Amino acid sequence: MVVITTKKPDEEVFEALQNYKVKKLTVVSCGTCAALCQTGGTEGAEEWRKKLEEKGYEIEAVIVSEDVCDNRVMKKDLRKIDDEVRASDAILTLSCGLGVQSIVEVIQDKYPKKPVLVSNNTKFIGMTERIGRFYLRCRACGDCLLNYTGGICPIATCAKGLMNGPCGGMVDGKCEVDNYERDCGWILIFNRLKAIGRLDLFSMLRDARDWSESGHQQEVIFR
Amino acid sequence: MEGNHAYSKLGEALVKGDFILTGELEPEKTCDLSHTIQEAKEMAPYVVAANVTDSPLGIVTINSMAASHIIQREADLEVIWQLTVRDVNKLGIAGMIMGGHALGLRNVLSLTGDHTALGDMPESKPVFDLDSATLVKLVREMVDTGKINGHEIEHPPKFHVGCAGNPNAEPMEAEILKIGRKAEAGAEFLQTQVVYDLERTIEFLTEIKKYKVPVLLGIFPMKSYGIAKGFDTFVPGVSVPKDILAKWKGIKTEYKTDKKMQKEAYDQANYEFFKPFIRELRKKNLLSGVHCMAVHYPRVFPKLMEIIQT
Repeated sequence: MVVITTKKPDEEVFEALQNYKVKKLTVVSCGTCAALCQTGGTEGAEEWRKKLEEKGYEIEAVIVSEDVCDNRVMKKDLRKIDDEVRASDAILTLSCGLGVQSIVEVIQDKYPKKPVLVSNNTKFIGMTERIGRFYLRCRACGDCLLNYTGGICPIATCAKGLMNGPCGGMVDGKCEVDNYERDCGWILIFNRLKAIGRLDLFSMLRDARDWSESGHQQEVIFR
Repeated sequence: MEGNHAYSKLGEALVKGDFILTGELEPEKTCDLSHTIQEAKEMAPYVVAANVTDSPLGIVTINSMAASHIIQREADLEVIWQLTVRDVNKLGIAGMIMGGHALGLRNVLSLTGDHTALGDMPESKPVFDLDSATLVKLVREMVDTGKINGHEIEHPPKFHVGCAGNPNAEPMEAEILKIGRKAEAGAEFLQTQVVYDLERTIEFLTEIKKYKVPVLLGIFPMKSYGIAKGFDTFVPGVSVPKDILAKWKGIKTEYKTDKKMQKEAYDQANYEFFKPFIRELRKKNLLSGVHCMAVHYPRVFPKLMEIIQT
C-alpha cells in the first residue's frame, strides 16, 4: 500500500513560502511512499535543496525520514536536528498530507508559530503495477464490500461510486467519464462474478451506503 | 403495477393497461419557461404525461422539480419528474420527494444522471449518495409505509416511481440483471433508452418481461437530417441505421426549396419507420406504451397517436 503523491507546481510551493515570509528552512523528505512516487526520498530532498538555494533560501537542515507519518519516528528524527528546526522559519515537507500533519502534531507545542508546508498533492491510496504506475483501487470508505463484488470495489472503480451499477453511462463496457476510455467498474465486477459463477451476487439489490459514522474524525483505537 | 391504486393519470393508465404515449420536455438554462410551456401545450392533447429532464449531460438547467411544477400548472399537462441522484444526497432527496408531492407532482422517474464531469460545471461535487435502484426503494418506502427511516411522515407523499433501461447496453445481461434490482426495489414502470434495432429490442424486452414492470419504449423521431445525423454521431451507444440516415438525407435534398413539403416528408418517414416497429413489439405483448424523446418536435405527436391507436 502506498499513499500516492504528485508534485505541486514549483510556483505554488514558492508562493506558499513567500506568503509565510520564509527565508530559512528545514526540509523533511519521506523515504517511503513519496520516495516510491518520486516526490520525496533522497533524490527529492536534493532536488528541493538545489531549487531553494538557487532562489536564495537558507537551508538549515535536510533529512530523509522513513516514516514521516509516524509521530514516534518524527519525534525522534526532529529531536536530532532540533537546533536547525529552531533556527528555521518553516519546515517544508516532501510527503503526503499525513506527513505534514504528523510534523505539525509533533512540533506544535514546542514551536507553536512555526509553519509546516508541503510540496506535494496527495492523490489516493494506490495499488502499484510498477514504479510510475499507480492505481486507485480502494477509497478506504470503512465498510468493505469486496466479498460480494468479486474482489473489485465499486466505490473505487465506478466513477459514481454506485452500489447498484452499471448506470446508463456505460457503453460497450466503458465509462462515460473520460470519453469512454476507461472500463466501467460495474462491468469489471459483472465479468468477474460471471467468471466465478456468482452472478447471484451481481443480481443483489444493495442498500445505499451508510455514512452515519463519517461525520467525525475517524480513528482506530484498540489499546 | 403494485395493487390497484393510482395517484396520477399515468398511474391510472398503467393500472387499466391502456397503451399510452408519453413525451419529453427539456427545460434549459433559463428562469422563463414560456418555450417549454408552449411545447407542453402542443403535446398535451396526445400524451398521458411528459418527462421533465434534470440537467441532462450534466449541463446545468433550471431545477427539474420547479420546472415540473410550473409546466404542470401552466400547460395543464401531467409530468413525469426526472430526478437524478447526481446532485443531492439521500436526506436532500427525501425532502424533495415530499416537496415534489406538495407541488402537485405524482410521477417520478429515478435516474442516475450523467456525471458532473461531462457537463458545464465539472468542478461540482458528484454526489451519488443513492443510485437509481435505491432511489426507487426510497420513494416506495415513503409512499407505501408513510415512513422514512422508520420515522412517521405526517402527510406522506404519493408517487408512481419509474426507472430507465437500456436495450442497447452491452453486455446486455448486466443491464437485465440491473433492471431486476430496480424491479425488486419497486419500480412501477420503465422507460427505455432510444432504440432503432428491432431484433435487439425484442430480445431485451423478452428478457425483462419476467420482472413484470410495464415498459414504455423510448423512440426518437427525427425532425430533420441534421438531427438524425447529430443523434447518430453524438449519442454514445445508439446508432441510427444507415438506411434511415440515407432516407432522411434524401428528403433534405429532394425538398430543399419547399420547407413545408420537407416537413411533411420527414413526418411521414418517421411514421413509416416507427409504425411497423411499434406494431411488432405490441403484437408480441412486450409494451405498455411509447415514450417519445424527440424534444422540440411536438408536431410529430398526431402521427404517433395514429400509430398507437391503430
